[in-house]
Amino acid sequence: MSQTTVVTAAKEPSLWAGGRSPYNVSYGKMMTWFFLLSDALTFGAFLISYGTTRFFSAVWPDANQVFKSFPFAGEHNLPLLFVSLMTFILIMSSVTMVLAVHAGHYGDKKNVAKWLQWTIVGGICFLSCQAWEWTHLHAECGGLWGAFTDVNTPVDQFRHFFSEKSLPYVDAHPLVAMQSAHGFFNYFFTITGFHGGHVTSGVIFNILILVNTVNGVYERRGHYEMVEKVGLYWHFVDLVWVFVFTCFYLL
Amino acid sequence: MSAHHSNSIQHLYEGDQSKLYSGVMQHHTDVNSDESKAQVKKIWKIFWILLVITVSEVIVGMFYSHNLNPAIKAFFFLGLTLLKAGYIVAVFMHLGDEFKGFIVTVLIPLVLFVWFIIAFLADGGFWLRMNESSPARHTIEHVAK
Repeated sequence: MSQTTVVTAAKEPSLWAGGRSPYNVSYGKMMTWFFLLSDALTFGAFLISYGTTRFFSAVWPDANQVFKSFPFAGEHNLPLLFVSLMTFILIMSSVTMVLAVHAGHYGDKKNVAKWLQWTIVGGICFLSCQAWEWTHLHAECGGLWGAFTDVNTPVDQFRHFFSEKSLPYVDAHPLVAMQSAHGFFNYFFTITGFHGGHVTSGVIFNILILVNTVNGVYERRGHYEMVEKVGLYWHFVDLVWVFVFTCFYLL
Repeated sequence: MSAHHSNSIQHLYEGDQSKLYSGVMQHHTDVNSDESKAQVKKIWKIFWILLVITVSEVIVGMFYSHNLNPAIKAFFFLGLTLLKAGYIVAVFMHLGDEFKGFIVTVLIPLVLFVWFIIAFLADGGFWLRMNESSPARHTIEHVAK
């Protein structure tokens, strides 16, 4: 009997035999992942709904025409340049965040605080860029949501959003084109707005954990898991932007 | 009396959970160790990969997007997007360092997107064809004029 026990104990016990977390992650971190999973489904639904409307439409605004402005560059035609800058800022802030998480693994309080500060700076820069872009498009559309609904809108007000190739269609069917422009901007403001809301709350979370770090809360607790959890959220926001960037600006 | 009652509140709150940190995140003490430096180096390597992918996407988007076959363009951009997403999730979010069971648990629900994308885009395309061939649309445009 006792020999059998020894043999059984020598074998690696199953992960699911109980007495330990089979995933080897804490409750808080696992739930952060599951929250992000549900958030991914929300963003996915937004983007797929955008795709459906786009497939539904005979013409669609061209990103190279809509997004060609850069602050202080006046009338120069600079397609995609500004959004590339925004993407770079967000990727960069993801790097500083993962460096903060890394410092947290080693209990390096000073570096956690340093990299969190840079992440906050990056997040604020991104939000400022978005504020500029929204202001610019607000002027282009004469509003945010619900632009281009009046059937008497002159075609000149939305013609310049379309590529050279689709202009014959736009001129032949201005109402169809207007409906596309309406859909495009509604989706644009909804999706980038929802994403921007995530960036905003991410910046707030980062400020909170920076204050906690500086006050030594995590040092006393013995680990920086909270930095990891907020880091997961922040990286997720970057991840969503990767898809928003592709769907709105590239495709 | 159980051992738990002797613990402080803070210990009950999160302290005992720190034992559940995934393997790679335990037993680190020296931030200047070779292991730590290798991890930082990897983070920067992923940064450069993400940057190069994004720059090539922007170049193709700026200069070649009108000359490319739409299907090729879509697969090119979506492939690179998924590649970037993979690097962010696996390295920056450390999902690649978790237990296999956990990775699978997080990723399986996302398979829903395969059906989701196919079904809804096909539906959009179907409605476009119906609309294009519908005499009603031309009537509406005529009335608006």
